[in-house]
Amino acid sequence: MTDDRNIYKPIKAKLTRVIDETPLIKTFVLVPETPFKFETGQFIELSVDGIGEAPFTPSSSPLVTDKLEVTVMKTGYVTEYMHRLEPGVFMGIRGPYGRGYPLEKFYGKVVMILGGGCGLAPIRSLLYALEDVKDKLEKVILCYGSKTPADCVYKPLFDRLNSIDKFEAYRTVDKSDEDWDGPVGVVTSLLNSIKYNRKNSVAVVCGPPVMMKFGTIKFLEMGYRDDEIYLSMEKNMSCGLGKCGHCMMGRYFVCKDGPVFTWEEIKDQPQIWE
Amino acid sequence: MQYLSIKKSDWDNHVDQLLLSFSVFAPVKNEYSLDYEEISSENISNISYNIPKPATPLKNFFLPVKENVTSEGISGKKRVILGSPGCDVAGLRLLDEIYLDREFNDIFYRSRRDNTIIIASDCLRIQEHCHCTAYGIRPYPEDGADLSVMLIDDVVLLRVISQKGIDFKNSFLPGLTPADDSLVSEAENNHRKIESMLRDKWVDLPDYSKTGELVAGAKPGIWKKYSSRCVSCGACTVICPTCSCFLLIDKPGFEKIKQQDACQYPGFERVAGGEDPLFRLSDRFRNRYMCKYVWKPQKFRASACTGCGRCTEACIGKIDKNELFLELSK
Repeated sequence: MTDDRNIYKPIKAKLTRVIDETPLIKTFVLVPETPFKFETGQFIELSVDGIGEAPFTPSSSPLVTDKLEVTVMKTGYVTEYMHRLEPGVFMGIRGPYGRGYPLEKFYGKVVMILGGGCGLAPIRSLLYALEDVKDKLEKVILCYGSKTPADCVYKPLFDRLNSIDKFEAYRTVDKSDEDWDGPVGVVTSLLNSIKYNRKNSVAVVCGPPVMMKFGTIKFLEMGYRDDEIYLSMEKNMSCGLGKCGHCMMGRYFVCKDGPVFTWEEIKDQPQIWE
Repeated sequence: MQYLSIKKSDWDNHVDQLLLSFSVFAPVKNEYSLDYEEISSENISNISYNIPKPATPLKNFFLPVKENVTSEGISGKKRVILGSPGCDVAGLRLLDEIYLDREFNDIFYRSRRDNTIIIASDCLRIQEHCHCTAYGIRPYPEDGADLSVMLIDDVVLLRVISQKGIDFKNSFLPGLTPADDSLVSEAENNHRKIESMLRDKWVDLPDYSKTGELVAGAKPGIWKKYSSRCVSCGACTVICPTCSCFLLIDKPGFEKIKQQDACQYPGFERVAGGEDPLFRLSDRFRNRYMCKYVWKPQKFRASACTGCGRCTEACIGKIDKNELFLELSK
């Protein structure tokens, strides 16, 4: 199966639109020079020409191959440059890489999704994929937390989800403002009041490490088995190819063996949340 | 195993002829060390045989310290590397698994592997930190190299190991004859002698899988103790024949430069959000041991430590990994 493809070389993608989601988060709409397929939960390496490259899970539907959306929080050197980009420029894409969400394992079940902050980006892609197979699912529930109401990404998404059969979406904020009349508290607090068939469900967690940690603890307390909790891990995935070593998490290359893992797979690995 | 022989002076003539078709590299002793040099007609007689081990690991011929991996591939003269020790040849097994993996095949590594003939050298001496046999590796390669040589007095004894080696011998090394029985028995005697010297020297050192168990079960104190002399210089990884972590650096025009990196450097695993699993020096130090003896063995067939001992030789803090393992095994 060896070929002469250069695994390090990106393809180009034209930036056609930049959407301001929050003061720190933007969504980049990209049109790749050739159709680009990915499975939901897989990630890409997105580069700014001459500046650097960073891993992101696309936030768009895996069913769309002529356009790709990537939601980026301004948090470091490369993302700072990304936030300065205007439509019309070309970016570089490598991938897709890694193992995404195993949708077939969700069939027949309630998919309980816990998201925090910019972690809603991969989840939005997952939601599109789940919508496509909703006939095979019992229910999809999204619980999402942001620091403040203004820090919530994809605000129109919630009403849309609540209008889809079998889908429910809930929001909370750590700190409210005068316009917010919804729940206040950490995202796991939403789980206490939602009625659903827990015993026939799987849990998906994506967000900042501390939220993933407490989300996992909460789901374990609720009685989920280790292999029923799916985590999208964030490490320094630099090459995406299982070679450069930067994303090693114990025996795993997160870029190749993940980024989606069950808790059972990773619970014994070191420094998971650090 | 078939042994062929040739007089040393004729062998040197062959090497001289090889220069017409190949770039040839071999260990030459200089005033500082024994290391690979590009061979020309002038320095053929300076090539060192039978002696472990060049300062530079063999990996550097296949994974340069820095290279542009968006360029149009590699061309140029084919290469012969002459005189690599068994430990370094064994190190290529892991690199092959990583870089020639079916899903993500590195064309730069592959073309260098394809374009290179490896003529190993059997070791007839040991150096202070050599311990290949502790990890099941022989000081005379039986696979991985294409051919292997041993110099006995003024005769070069040659073992042909791979198909590539057979083809190479047929095309470029005419006039070799099957070795006399007495020479063969001397060569085999040398192999046995060097192996038993290594075994005797490291009789207390745990083997590779036992080392993995000890490392996995070690208490934090041992890492704190041994890392107290570590300065995160990364020399142990740079010099290691199997360490191959790298960094990709972006250049204008979507070019990428691949540069050797090391888990011992601060910030190796840090992400933009600030999380840094290997922030503490003792965690970085432990990481290298866990990688080599616990995690890599769970992912790959090849050993991630070949017992070459270079990490101990290169350490400016004089950290001796075998001392650590002997302490763990007490």
